[in-house]
Amino acid sequence: MKRNLLTIIVGAVLVVIFVLLLFVFQVRQSETVVLTTFGKPGANPITDPGAYLKWPWPIQQVNRFDKRIQNFEDKFSQSLTADQQNLLTCVYVGWRISDAGEFLRSFRGSVPAAQSQLEGMLRSAKNAVVGKHPLSDFVNADPRQLKFDAIQTEIEQTVQAQLSTNAYGVELEFLGFKKIGLPENVTQTVFDRMKAERQVLISAAENDGKAQAQIIESAADRQAASTIASAEAEAIRIQAQGQAEAARTTLPVFQQNPELANFLLRLDALKLALNQKSTLIFDERTPPFDLFQHLPTNSPSQ
Amino acid sequence: MSDEHEHHLHEHGHDAPETQDAGSQALAEALRSSFAIVKVVMVLMVLLFFGSGFFTVGPSEKAVILRFGKLVGEGQDALLGSGLHWSFPYPIDEVVKIPISENQKVTSTVGWYATTPEQELSGEELPAGPSLNPAVDGYALSADTNIVHVQVTQYYRIENPLLAIFNFASDTNFAYSLAGVSNAVQNALNNALLYSAAHFYVDDILTRDKAGFQDAVRSRVDDLVEAENLGVTIGDCVVISVPPRQLQDVFARVTTARENRNKALLDAHTYENQVLSEAGARAAAITNQAEIARNRYVTVLSADAKKFSDLLPQYQSNPDLFVQVQLAQTMGSALTNVEKWVEPTSTGGKSTEVRLMLNREPPEPKTGGSTQP
Repeated sequence: MKRNLLTIIVGAVLVVIFVLLLFVFQVRQSETVVLTTFGKPGANPITDPGAYLKWPWPIQQVNRFDKRIQNFEDKFSQSLTADQQNLLTCVYVGWRISDAGEFLRSFRGSVPAAQSQLEGMLRSAKNAVVGKHPLSDFVNADPRQLKFDAIQTEIEQTVQAQLSTNAYGVELEFLGFKKIGLPENVTQTVFDRMKAERQVLISAAENDGKAQAQIIESAADRQAASTIASAEAEAIRIQAQGQAEAARTTLPVFQQNPELANFLLRLDALKLALNQKSTLIFDERTPPFDLFQHLPTNSPSQ
Repeated sequence: MSDEHEHHLHEHGHDAPETQDAGSQALAEALRSSFAIVKVVMVLMVLLFFGSGFFTVGPSEKAVILRFGKLVGEGQDALLGSGLHWSFPYPIDEVVKIPISENQKVTSTVGWYATTPEQELSGEELPAGPSLNPAVDGYALSADTNIVHVQVTQYYRIENPLLAIFNFASDTNFAYSLAGVSNAVQNALNNALLYSAAHFYVDDILTRDKAGFQDAVRSRVDDLVEAENLGVTIGDCVVISVPPRQLQDVFARVTTARENRNKALLDAHTYENQVLSEAGARAAAITNQAEIARNRYVTVLSADAKKFSDLLPQYQSNPDLFVQVQLAQTMGSALTNVEKWVEPTSTGGKSTEVRLMLNREPPEPKTGGSTQP
């Protein structure tokens, strides 16, 4: 009867496993479960992971929900800004099921249904918020005037408020612009404007180059002229200094006998004057030619 | 075996006593052997059941075990490294493997015009139309409302794999993967691209401040993954930016014009240097000349003074004689290369008239360059 016992044990184990499969269910780390009894949701969703007991189908039923953040983005849609410009925007959101019971009631547990609801809400929130801002709030070089983050926050808060008012059991974790664009026909006018701006830049660069070059060159000329002028002034000063210095040292010497000094200087001047090719006409009486006067002559004069 | 054999025989004998023929014996035989097979299969299955608990984790993988759905281990200890591991088989334990390569990479999807993979491979693009179709062509708007194409590739590392798989859904089928986080990083990157472009001028994005733009994108992605708690660390990012294809030539002409301007400025500075150094050299020459002249003047005059001092005693001893001697000497030496014309003294009180035809020679060019004060 030993073999019989083994068979009974194996059978019992199988029965236990089968019963467990019927009566036990798991909640995984990332899941929330709502038990429904004959279709009626239980009081509290089960959020802690582990193994739980239930009555087998069709008495109780397990409704599983992913409680992690889901990525979603809406369609690229057009809204009118406060300054009457058409702007296309697309936002991404991270949303999660915050209350599985409410989620089950609102969307019958369908994520696509929830997302299409969310998409509608995003669209109306975008229209409302974008309509309050001019285009310069979306693109601006001045960080104080750029309202990019503020606009995102406004949209997020609008949608979040609607979600909690309607008790959808859904909350937003984050929201941001994924795409911003202009309608197709507007891109063409933007291109025209950009082209005109480029032309302005081209001629500005050309003219600026010429003007700057001219400024640099004329400044250089002026500086060069003033350098030379001051060098000339310096030269005059140096020479005057030389004269003063010479006068200071030599005048006392010459003053010992001005007549001799005068005579010597005139002598020098004379030497200098006669250095070049010159013709002098002398009277006979001028020394040393006065010697001629006393030459004995043949002619019986005087 | 024999035990069971008897048991079966007994059962058969009890249930159907009058079927002790050859057919029922064959049936009993068949049942016996199939029971043996079932037993072997059961043992094998039990072995297989526990053996299936073994699993390996690859070198660029981590794994976690969920026991009845609950994570085994706390925090980073829950992560199993590479090697052989064992867990209870399903449905008790569930093994989740997470592929973690060193560097993950994600590329922006919103800033570039429409291309197909074939075009990217061949490097050829269709000629651009006059406008951009928002459904297919991506671009960013710059601070001065210009259209500019930007593509960013961002490298990142999964710092917290548990957060990645337990906090971000990748799909609607409850699966565990990194796709959810990767998607969230990509969205953050797209947002960073738009945001950075929105406060940079188009010229900064394209040429003037590419590095600044890249830094702006990177720091924005960093802020977003921090705020959204994605559990990743942001690495380098690579930015490519081009003007719209429709305006490429006019953008190129701006670049050329700017280069020309810089060249003109460079030329002007060259001229400036040349003129200034020439002027400096000339100024130095002028002052040096003046110095030379001064020295010469002072030297000559002091030589004169010396001569004066030397001659003074002689002069004082006999001034007239001295003058006569000096004058005669000077005349002698000075008149050597002078054309002389001695006019005889008029006799008898009659004045003599001398007429000269002067044909003035041009003065010889000065050779010494000495300036006489």
